[in-house]
Amino acid sequence: MRLASLLVTAAMAHAQPLAVQTFTLDNGMKVLVHEDRDIPNVALYLFFKIGSRDERPGVTGISHFFEHMMFNGAKKYGPKQFDIVMEANGGSNNAYTSRDVTVYTDWFPRSALELIMDMESDRMVHLDLDPKMVESERGVVYSERRQRVDNDNFGLLEEQLDAAAFLAHPYGWPVIGWASDIEAWTIDDLRHHYRIGYAPNNCVMVVSGDVSRREVEELAKQYFGGIERQEPPPAVRTVEPEQLGERRVEIRKAAQLPLLMVSYHVPRSADADRTTLEVLTALLTRGRSSRLYRRLVDRDRLALDVSAYAGKSLDPGQLVFYLEVTSGVDPAKAEEALFEEIDAMRKDLADARELEKAKNQLLVQLYRQQKTIAGKANLLGQYEVFHGGYETLAQAGEAIASVSAESVREAARRYLDPKKRTIATLIPEAAAAKESE
Amino acid sequence: MKTAAALLTLAPMALAVTLPPFEKETLPNGVTVCLMPRRDTPLIAVQVTLRGGSEADPAGQAGLSALTAELLRRGSGSRTADEFAEALDYLGAAYSAGTQPQAIVLRLEFLSKDAEAALGLLADAVARPAFAEEEVRKAVEQAADEVRSLKDQPGQAAQLYFRSLFYGPEHPYGRPPRGDEISLAKVSRADVVAHHKKLYTGRNLIVTAAGDFDSGAFRTLLRKTFGGLPAGEAYRWREAPPIPAAKEPTLWLIDKPDATQTYFLIGQPGLARTSPDRVPAQLVNALFGGRFTSLLNDALRVDSGLTYGARSVLDLNRLPGAISMYTFTRTDATKQAVDLALDVLGKLRKNGVNEEQLASTKAYIKGSYPTERLETADQLAGLLAEMELYGLGRDEVDDFFARVDAVTVEDANRIVRKYYSSDALQFLLLGNASAIRESVAGYAEKRKEIPVTSPGFGGSH
Repeated sequence: MRLASLLVTAAMAHAQPLAVQTFTLDNGMKVLVHEDRDIPNVALYLFFKIGSRDERPGVTGISHFFEHMMFNGAKKYGPKQFDIVMEANGGSNNAYTSRDVTVYTDWFPRSALELIMDMESDRMVHLDLDPKMVESERGVVYSERRQRVDNDNFGLLEEQLDAAAFLAHPYGWPVIGWASDIEAWTIDDLRHHYRIGYAPNNCVMVVSGDVSRREVEELAKQYFGGIERQEPPPAVRTVEPEQLGERRVEIRKAAQLPLLMVSYHVPRSADADRTTLEVLTALLTRGRSSRLYRRLVDRDRLALDVSAYAGKSLDPGQLVFYLEVTSGVDPAKAEEALFEEIDAMRKDLADARELEKAKNQLLVQLYRQQKTIAGKANLLGQYEVFHGGYETLAQAGEAIASVSAESVREAARRYLDPKKRTIATLIPEAAAAKESE
Repeated sequence: MKTAAALLTLAPMALAVTLPPFEKETLPNGVTVCLMPRRDTPLIAVQVTLRGGSEADPAGQAGLSALTAELLRRGSGSRTADEFAEALDYLGAAYSAGTQPQAIVLRLEFLSKDAEAALGLLADAVARPAFAEEEVRKAVEQAADEVRSLKDQPGQAAQLYFRSLFYGPEHPYGRPPRGDEISLAKVSRADVVAHHKKLYTGRNLIVTAAGDFDSGAFRTLLRKTFGGLPAGEAYRWREAPPIPAAKEPTLWLIDKPDATQTYFLIGQPGLARTSPDRVPAQLVNALFGGRFTSLLNDALRVDSGLTYGARSVLDLNRLPGAISMYTFTRTDATKQAVDLALDVLGKLRKNGVNEEQLASTKAYIKGSYPTERLETADQLAGLLAEMELYGLGRDEVDDFFARVDAVTVEDANRIVRKYYSSDALQFLLLGNASAIRESVAGYAEKRKEIPVTSPGFGGSH
């Protein structure tokens, strides 16, 4: 049984890597092409290497706001035309902004490939920042903030957690921006952002689906080849100083249930320890057989749900544990149980079957992310930007398979250090009033 | 603009998409099995669909179907809940069990090499759940807490209140699908056992699978897995009670004093999944509120910046459902946003749909259909189950593009007149009542105010 399961993991780890063809235009724009002709559709993703880490106080959230402005008109395709023309040709789109990147995602029937290239190149170089549009879009983004943060306990607490976890590094401010900054940024701020972030040499394009490398290359040359390279965004110089003791933040407000979040510092995504931390996180939180689910949700019923997440990051980032605390339970009790389980990871080695289980979960997850052309485009872009090259995706399975119980314990000792944690708690106001009686 | 228009005719879109081939058989105990082999990723998706779903919840016990589905894994066959979880996680399998208005749905996705072990777990969950007293009690308490936590998510809570308002207490869709604090408290182990015995039977079961398998061997495995279930009876669909909402405008205001924006839905009666109007209705709804450039989103987001997004939701279930406009806006702009939504609806009624809008919407619907329905094994297993549940043929997919293309401007405008022209709109607003109460009073004579802290979602249980 043991032997069989080890062989299984090894076989999965050596699965066929995604076939990718790549080329770089003279202006530095890198293009990845993955051919998949199962359905007559294409996913085209543009990764611009600019995000909230490239901002400064006073203009926090500008990367995300800029993402919105990219849909508000360029030279050839004026206001509203990007969406109108795309949808009329069977396409749809979205975009997301993170701390490190701004990503534009287009999904469309193969017949629209040239059109999409034309529209994307138009807004990469000829965006028209109309002051009226800026004001209207400011309201949209404010509504998005109210939706995601101000009226969402989870979003609200996480924002305060991040701000406490980072003293100096830009990862401490919210991607959507502080409310005051959303009200204040100017058209010059937007122009500056466009200049530093939106250049072919700061962009990776991933095309996945019913296409050939040849047609993608011809169209990329035609539509993007003439765009001039620019200075990339200035380097982020600030390095977060080492955390020297536990930090705490608390929110008291009307709520049905308490929330608890605990953040630890972890290295950047390209660091080999991040794979070990993924296995560690899977042991603790993935599935109902995970240690934290068993203990906090099932056995002690201190939490309704528990999860953990370490986002992709170019600079050292966070691993955050999220607990939705059971109603009527003191969050301190949930916290205590969480730390007991983390301590056990720091003290003892995981047994072989449990480790194998966590690895299997992560390996199957890798397949799951490749079920769709959109999933593949996103995964390839992320590996290209965050892991030192899309080629590293082919080794991701092997990296997971080679994690040992010793290295997991070592990572727990090193990164899940009580001195380096930040704890955020949301206490329902009614419960808080009871306490003070 | 002119250049863009010229580009519209650049290249033709695919003329049709076709459903990949599949096999169907009925096992001796009545289980329907559909198999679609597809070699893409080394994954298999299996979906078990049981007719009934939350519409089968007995009166006063909203959430019983969902709770029963949740309990299937908490001790089944020879395994405890914990052992079941470990076995599932060891395979890296993804499992879910939940309820829809007309069906209980279990989904399992696993590596093709693990088919036997994975299906063994699924068989235990469907046929041999233990429903231990302790697990039932625990699940009830957790479910009640989950329902409470929904009230910390105003967007989701608004949808649940809207169901109570729109469908009323007699209609199965009027109850919260996962129950509420009151209904869940009334559920006992005996209820769960009886519910399972009645619905988890051969004649009521549809098994659909797509993915990396060889049909012959996999069929044998599925026969072994589900062939032993008692045949029982197929669920008898309930008669459709009328939707009372259609009579006069009504407004419910859900008071959440800490809210800084108002979430609102405005609904009118729509259609059923199998309605002959479904394709033109999908087109009209997409252009009215189902895509980024829709009339609603264009007015409320793009032109006015009042919201992050506005849409119209077309329910397509076994029984006719709602068509509801949904958005959210800052508290002091509530009336402005509601007025604007009503204005957009009024313009649709007055001006109808034109040729250009319809052509664009057709392209949009056809362009997104393959990635929404035909791309992955789990989508295909879900599609096969839906076809079986509603008695639809493969023409549902194979002729879809042709049916979209055949819709005329007259067809679309008939849909507008038939479904988007109610005089009895139903308004659900969730927000800070003291700040908006007066400004929204004019929308309906019949009004009700409910504090968000009251148990339940304003209706029956």
